[in-house]
Amino acid sequence: MSRTKKHRLVQKAPNFSGFKPFGVQKVNDAEISLNFEEYEAVKLCDYELLTHAEASVLMNVSRPTFTRVYESARRKIAKAFVEASAICFEGGKVVFDTLWYKCDNCKITFTISEGKLQECPLCHSTEKIANI
Amino acid sequence: MIIAVALNENHTEALVDEHFGRCAWFCIYDSENRKTEYIENTNRYTEEGAGCSSAKTLMQYGIQIAIAMRFGVKVVEFFRKNNIQMVIPETQKNLEEILKMINN
Repeated sequence: MSRTKKHRLVQKAPNFSGFKPFGVQKVNDAEISLNFEEYEAVKLCDYELLTHAEASVLMNVSRPTFTRVYESARRKIAKAFVEASAICFEGGKVVFDTLWYKCDNCKITFTISEGKLQECPLCHSTEKIANI
Repeated sequence: MIIAVALNENHTEALVDEHFGRCAWFCIYDSENRKTEYIENTNRYTEEGAGCSSAKTLMQYGIQIAIAMRFGVKVVEFFRKNNIQMVIPETQKNLEEILKMINN
C-alpha cells in the first residue's frame, strides 16, 4: 500500500467552479477535474510569482511534492486546452488554511479573527452568515 | 474601530482596488469620530512583498479591518497572524458605498 498523502494547505477556494471552451463544433464530453491543490499551485507559482520552494512552504508540503503537483496541474490544463474539454475544480487532499465567511446582506466575503463573535464586520448581523 | 480600504484614487467616489498590495491609496477610516485619512501607497511599485510592507505600515495606524478585492497569499498569512479581519466585496464598490455599509 502506498503512503497516505499529506494534507496540502490551500488559502482560498476559487469562487467559481471551472472553465468551458467556447466556439467549438463538438464539445468534448470528458471533463477534466483540476484539484484544489493544483489550482493553488498554479496560483502561487504563476500568479503570485513565488518560487517552488516558497510556495511549498505555504502549502505545507516538500519542494519535490509541490513540483509534482504543479506539473500535474500544467499537464491537465494543457490537455484541456488542446482537446477542448471543460475544466472543473474539485477534490484533492486539502485543508483550508483560512476560513472564509459570506454575508448575504452585504454581499461580501470575510474572515473572522480567532475568539471573536461570528458576525458580519459591516452590518453586524449574525444570521445571514454562511461558511464557504 | 479603524478600517483600511484599498483604493485606486483619493476621494470618496474612488473604487475599491483590485489588489491590496498594488493599490494607489489607502483610506484609513475611524468609525468612532468618523474621520477619514488618505495615505499614499509608496510600496506599490516594489517588485516583491508590496502587500506585506503596506500591511506593516497600516498596522501602525491600528487597523482592525482591511478591505480590498483581493489579497495576496503572504498578506493573508500576515493578517491572520495579527488577527486582522479581511473583507472582500463581491461586486465593485466605491468608498462611499462601503462607508455607508459600515455606518448603518
